[in-house]
Amino acid sequence: MTQHIQHLYEVLSKVDGYVYPNEIELNWSILIVLYPYITGLVAGAFILASLERIFKLHVLRPTYGIALLTALSFMLVATMPLVSHLGKPLRAYEIMVTPHLSSAMAIFGFVYLWYLMVVLLLEIWFDYRRDMIIWAGETTGLKRFLYRALSLWSTDISPKAVALDNKLGYIVTIIGVPSAFLLHGYVGFIFGSIKANPWWSTVLMPVIFLFSAIVSGISLVMLVYIVITRIRKLKIDMPCLDTIASYLFYILLIDFVLEGLDQIHRIYIAEESFDVLHNLVFGRLFFTLFIMQGLIGTVIPLLTLGTLQFYKPKIQIRKAIYTIISPLILIGIFFMRWNVVIGGQLFSKSFYGYTSFKIGLIGTEGYLMAAFWLIVPFIILSFLLWLFPPWKKKEDDHEIQVG
Amino acid sequence: MPQHIKRLIGAFAVVIILFLLLQTILRPTSFGKIGHYRADAIQENKMKELHYAGSDKCTKCHEEMKTDKEVGFHATLQCEACHGPGLKHAMYADKFKDGKLPDSLMLHKPGSRKECVICHQLNAARVKIVFDTINNSMIKQIDPMKHNLVDKRNFAKLVCIECHNPHQP
Ligand code: HEC
Ligand code: HEC
Ligand code: HEC
Ligand code: HEC
Repeated sequence: MTQHIQHLYEVLSKVDGYVYPNEIELNWSILIVLYPYITGLVAGAFILASLERIFKLHVLRPTYGIALLTALSFMLVATMPLVSHLGKPLRAYEIMVTPHLSSAMAIFGFVYLWYLMVVLLLEIWFDYRRDMIIWAGETTGLKRFLYRALSLWSTDISPKAVALDNKLGYIVTIIGVPSAFLLHGYVGFIFGSIKANPWWSTVLMPVIFLFSAIVSGISLVMLVYIVITRIRKLKIDMPCLDTIASYLFYILLIDFVLEGLDQIHRIYIAEESFDVLHNLVFGRLFFTLFIMQGLIGTVIPLLTLGTLQFYKPKIQIRKAIYTIISPLILIGIFFMRWNVVIGGQLFSKSFYGYTSFKIGLIGTEGYLMAAFWLIVPFIILSFLLWLFPPWKKKEDDHEIQVG
Repeated sequence: MPQHIKRLIGAFAVVIILFLLLQTILRPTSFGKIGHYRADAIQENKMKELHYAGSDKCTKCHEEMKTDKEVGFHATLQCEACHGPGLKHAMYADKFKDGKLPDSLMLHKPGSRKECVICHQLNAARVKIVFDTINNSMIKQIDPMKHNLVDKRNFAKLVCIECHNPHQP
């Protein structure tokens, strides 16, 4: 009993005002912040790749393969933060073997599988099959075996077969865009449909999540592309970067307006939850919302990228700007997820009090664990780039054969 | 149909069949018997150790507390809210003829100032909350740093139960 009371006193020191007992400790921690962040990167990177393919934007060609492989490497890790957040991770598969239509999370497993298997893997397979067969002839050992196995031991690289691959790949891309929208809209839906939480419950949530996802995915691909060309000591393709930057600008603008709209709506209707949210935003969320998400992640990038739409400085300066702005946006979107996930749990649903969030360095829910799940995708990406270097593909325009 | 498309379809078929197979194998045996959950879960939860007995059990032996408490302000409180979980105590307390219980069966007696203010601490956010809508009453609050902190005569620190009977405050 006494140690219970000791513990109660410890946790109560984190609380301001009145909170319900189950609100004292936050159950959704940094790992749940990572999950929408990583799925967002996947959807965003994929949509950038699809722009090139569907709208035949050939300037974006240098980033096409990189974007697809980036999407795949993050996709493979997307569920891991969720699984490692579980008290019993070994039971995670049960959600897949006993799905129920009334559970948004259970259906997410299938949305995820659809996107991974039917969209990403298929598109990459159709895109690389011919190259894998060619590369299998040029390599030996394990690499050769991998190429063989991954191309399913097929050998047909006649123009007819390749043309069919391109056509099917194109169809997959077309299916893929709504699927990517679905994947990330779904993550927003999971939050937006929690009607007991006024910070989450808005129909705009899926749309906001989607646009911020596209923003973060594009920034990530931009950064990866800059880093890769630097490592390979090549000349960077400026028209490509400039085009990406202008898309980034417009989509960031839409994202900003949508989020602003959501807040204005909230302020205007001023429901009974308004006071508690107002204090939350200007209190516990001030730093992450206004400084990290607003200033660093939105206003500075918007102003810089916006200026570049009218005034083009020297290539060196533009390159430096892109190298700085893309991580800023990535940080901003991370904090957007943070503000949604953590912010939604900091206030009491009684609207009478607040709790606070403390996070440790180690432990299953600590910073190190989160950093680990952010680093793993880059390791996978390096492996994929080694196995499927997009720059070694035999150059041809698949669009020409489709079109 | 080209050879590689056939293989692709084959590969997908293998994955889907494997998934369906795993689904039947991994599905817990008692799943779905009663509803969309493991029927065994009910049994497993029944087997969980209990900790609380409930006030009715306590007052079977501690009759005087019941009569005390019933007329006081604490009438609605469960004994175990203050004394801690007492199932073991309630089950075995009468097994000791001389009335001397071993330490493991003794219950906590919350006498300190800290323990009463778990519920009575001055708290701005709680004032408005109507605890019992019928009597329109609420838990009265005191500031533990001001409310009768020390005995004015000899400056000894006072505990709450020196003045308030915990069972009939
Ligand atoms: C089977 C009869 C019985 C039941 C039921 C019972 N008790 Fe007791 N209780 C006793 C006996 C016997 C003692 C020992 C009396 C003594 O040591 O003076 C005792 C002592 C206590 C004490 C005093 C311990 C001390 O340090 O003086 C408390 C407090 C107490 N019981 C609370 C409870 C609560 C709360 C419950 C309900 C969960 C409960 N009892 C149920 C028989 C019972
Ligand atoms: C508000 C908290 C509170 C509640 C509710 C409460 N008690 Fe107590 N109880 C105390 C405190 C404090 C003491 C210690 C009194 C003392 O040391 O003089 C105590 C002492 C006791 C004792 C030991 C009596 C003695 O003279 O040492 C028994 C037995 C007991 N309580 C039984 C019960 C039972 C049975 C109930 C439920 C009907 C109950 N209590 C409800 C706070 C509470
Ligand atoms: C589990 C929460 C809880 C604890 C612990 C608790 N109380 Fe209470 N107390 C209440 C409630 C509930 C009421 C009655 C509210 C009502 O219905 O009027 C109350 C009423 C009172 C009152 C009467 C106030 C009035 O209305 O004049 C006093 C005095 C009091 N408690 C003193 C104490 C003391 C002393 C202790 C420590 C032994 C204590 N309480 C521990 C919940 C608690
Ligand atoms: C010196 C004796 C004394 C001590 C010690 C004492 N009280 Fe009181 N308490 C009183 C008296 C007398 C009243 C009624 C007059 C008043 O409201 O001040 C009272 C009133 C209360 C009330 C009702 C207040 C209201 O607004 O009606 C609560 C609750 C209370 N006490 C809790 C406690 C708690 C908790 C402690 C221990 C931290 C404690 N008391 C210690 C004498 C005491």
